[in-house]
Amino acid sequence: MTALVRYLAADVLRGQRFLAPLLVYCGVLGMLFFDDPGPALQAYAGSCALIYPITAWLAVVIATSEDQARREITVVTAGGWRPVLGAVAVLSALFTVVLAVMATLLPVLTNTRPYQVSWVLAGFAAHVVCGFLGTGVGLLFARPVLRSIGHTVLAVFGVVVLTYPLGPRSPLGWVLDMFGADRVSTALVWSGLASVVLVVAAVLLGLRATRRT
Amino acid sequence: MRLLGVGKRYGRGPWVLRDLSLDVSGLVVLTGGNGSGKSTLLRIVAGVTCPTEGRVVDRPASVGYVPERFPSDVRMSVRDYLRHMSAIRGASGEVLERLGFRGSMTAPMATLSKGNTQKVALAQAFAATDLLVLDEPFSGLDTAASVALVEMLAERTAVVADHEGHLPSAQVVSLSGAHVTIEFSRASGLGELSDLDGVRSVEPRGTGARVLVEPAHSDTVLAEALRLGCSVRSVRS
Repeated sequence: MTALVRYLAADVLRGQRFLAPLLVYCGVLGMLFFDDPGPALQAYAGSCALIYPITAWLAVVIATSEDQARREITVVTAGGWRPVLGAVAVLSALFTVVLAVMATLLPVLTNTRPYQVSWVLAGFAAHVVCGFLGTGVGLLFARPVLRSIGHTVLAVFGVVVLTYPLGPRSPLGWVLDMFGADRVSTALVWSGLASVVLVVAAVLLGLRATRRT
Repeated sequence: MRLLGVGKRYGRGPWVLRDLSLDVSGLVVLTGGNGSGKSTLLRIVAGVTCPTEGRVVDRPASVGYVPERFPSDVRMSVRDYLRHMSAIRGASGEVLERLGFRGSMTAPMATLSKGNTQKVALAQAFAATDLLVLDEPFSGLDTAASVALVEMLAERTAVVADHEGHLPSAQVVSLSGAHVTIEFSRASGLGELSDLDGVRSVEPRGTGARVLVEPAHSDTVLAEALRLGCSVRSVRS
């Protein structure tokens, strides 16, 4: 699995399609935290809302980095679709953790306002959770579930956009509401569980989809 | 490795393959025209896709696969790609040298010629130890590389799609044209049946069997089966 993740990471990094979501992420993070962003947890609510679509975008980039022929070679080399889809999910999760570290530490480093360790830890956990939700959405509609990149983009964009108006009726909304109220609650745990279930479901759906390819 | 009554259709489309049984041992060459299902069969053998009907049993652990068209826009270098593939598989090979690869190992693969790209595709596949699944592997290779590939394949278990006759000593499975499926509710003398001209496969099923026959030989095979005491359940083409 490690070798597979390394290969996919090398392919994604060489492909440069990750740059667009990364630059958008860095740019918006800079705007969010350039000036005093306010109380720590409320400031994190903004970057949590941001990481969700970015990780969905990145998950699609990672899932579709290889074209179909090369993906099939990788599948045969790795011994089946299961390790490859697992590696795609692991790599997407690793990218999410990196983005979560960036969003968590940036306001700590750039603002004079004191950040308690517990707030930073909660902020990191919340970014990981929201990032995993995005990863799950991205993988849910990427190849091999949807084979056309156009359909993937439309589906991911639609779900991401529709998530925000749902407010506290979605796992993302639970986290944003929690931080908006400047507190940490068990909603973070439930959102975390939901995000893990979403990623696992996306991988399982992908495995099922490979049976009809 | 065996394929038992394998069939494949994509969605609700027409059947690409139907009722195909095959014992994979030694060198097997698939022939047939465009759209006859060679690539689909190879993808099933390799484990990339599942058959719609029938099953594949005893697929070996280490399989190498070369698709019909290896992508030409890979940014990764030859050295990095083969290093990663070897790491994933846990094996390595010295195939590029035998095939006479001429190109930069460090430049992006997108800059390679078609022939050299094909050699890279073959190199990653030959790192497999058990079974090779190669779709038109001679495509783009020069004469010397083709000769080298024939020599390398002689040592391996492989299923190869090739309609140019590079492998005359291999077991040939033709996918062109239809076949007749004869099902027996009671079968005897299956060994004699399988030796008859035109019999593509004989698959025992309980007390009976399913026999696939080339259309031109179906009457002869049917008559011989009846003489051997088989009881016919159905005949379809």
